[in-house]
Amino acid sequence: MRFNEKELVSLSRQPSEMAAELGMRGPKKGDVVKKRLVKLVVNFLFYFRTDEEEPIGALLLEQCRVEREDSQTFSIAFLDEAERKYLFECDSEEQCGEWVDSIIKASYEFMRKNLIFYRTEIHRLTGKDPLEQYGISDETRFQVSNGLQLMSRDTSSLQEEKGPQKIGPS
Amino acid sequence: MKLHEKILTHYLSCTSPVDKEGYLYKKKERNATYQRRWFVLKANLLFYQERPADRHLLGVIVLERCAVRRAESDAQFAFSLVFGPGLKTYRFAAVDRQTQESWVKALLSASHCYLSLLVRDLGRQYEEAKQQQGSGESRSSVTALKPSTYSFLFTAQGPTTAAVVREGRSHSASTVLQASSIPTKVVAKKSPKLWPRRNAYVTPLNGPAPLYGEWPLVGFDPLEDFRKLHDYYGQEVKKAREEWLRSRQAEEERSDEDLIDLG
Repeated sequence: MRFNEKELVSLSRQPSEMAAELGMRGPKKGDVVKKRLVKLVVNFLFYFRTDEEEPIGALLLEQCRVEREDSQTFSIAFLDEAERKYLFECDSEEQCGEWVDSIIKASYEFMRKNLIFYRTEIHRLTGKDPLEQYGISDETRFQVSNGLQLMSRDTSSLQEEKGPQKIGPS
Repeated sequence: MKLHEKILTHYLSCTSPVDKEGYLYKKKERNATYQRRWFVLKANLLFYQERPADRHLLGVIVLERCAVRRAESDAQFAFSLVFGPGLKTYRFAAVDRQTQESWVKALLSASHCYLSLLVRDLGRQYEEAKQQQGSGESRSSVTALKPSTYSFLFTAQGPTTAAVVREGRSHSASTVLQASSIPTKVVAKKSPKLWPRRNAYVTPLNGPAPLYGEWPLVGFDPLEDFRKLHDYYGQEVKKAREEWLRSRQAEEERSDEDLIDLG
């Protein structure tokens, strides 16, 4: 499968706060731990040989399972293959936690879910669809899954209510 | 560089919906001819194959750090993805204006950077909306409220925040979003209580990843989860309201005692 390799390599060179030397082990039996510069850019995890400019590889962080294996090690499993995991050894518990956290939050699908949540909530609280101002309310990728139509509604009645609105089941 | 293709194709075929698909003409760089291809857009990835039913994918374009341009000089209803000096420009043509516009719009909002900025902005708006609702005060007192910040997306001082903002600013789509100041303090006034105990580090294989730490689990059924989240915040608001009422009553009682006795 062709892909825009040069552009992806260029992406891997972008500044990232999640870049560190970790011990990395591949998913296959017989794979050993190797020191790699691991770098998180958008929803890709790039890994380099130390001091090399071009990454060895790029892992797309979607549909994957990130797990803490022990205090300083985390793993990523892809393709529903829970047994075939990439292992990453960190220098500290704190660093390990940061990586797990960052990888989970880097997923496009994770971000999309949050966006849809905010969109729905803001509409519920204010009567306005926050995506309207950006002209992207109709984009498929931002649709609220249950088909709810986010029309702006008349909010004058909200000002007359005393106290906070009742939220939750009545 | 090795791109682990199986991961990409697995993601493409998994249950989450596709963002856009359809036929487009793609220009071959070598002989400047256009070939019809079936394109599938999902997240920040643009896949293409010969026909929709094909199992074999011809290629994928990662849509980061590229500009989307309408280009009529080349062919009718043409547009391109420009990656910049030294990097590729992918050229496409649609069959009509509507298709062209629809793809251009979809591609403009496809990048991870763009989504990241959008989520931050909406997160801030959400906090503000919650504050306004929760306070129960009139609009004029909004300025008295502390500037809202949100922690539920970030447990620690977001390490990726600055990097993404830096990337986002240089991206063409960032002009679509208003430049909102990104709060540097990351702790919310009242963080959502912890969701029922589960291993916070484990994410289900087929479902979306739950947030590490504070945020309640957003599972696979969005409607059910929104209800859960609504209930959740409902409880918190209820409690806050009760506390407020109690403190109001206490104040009133106190002020009764303070009344000057003019008798």
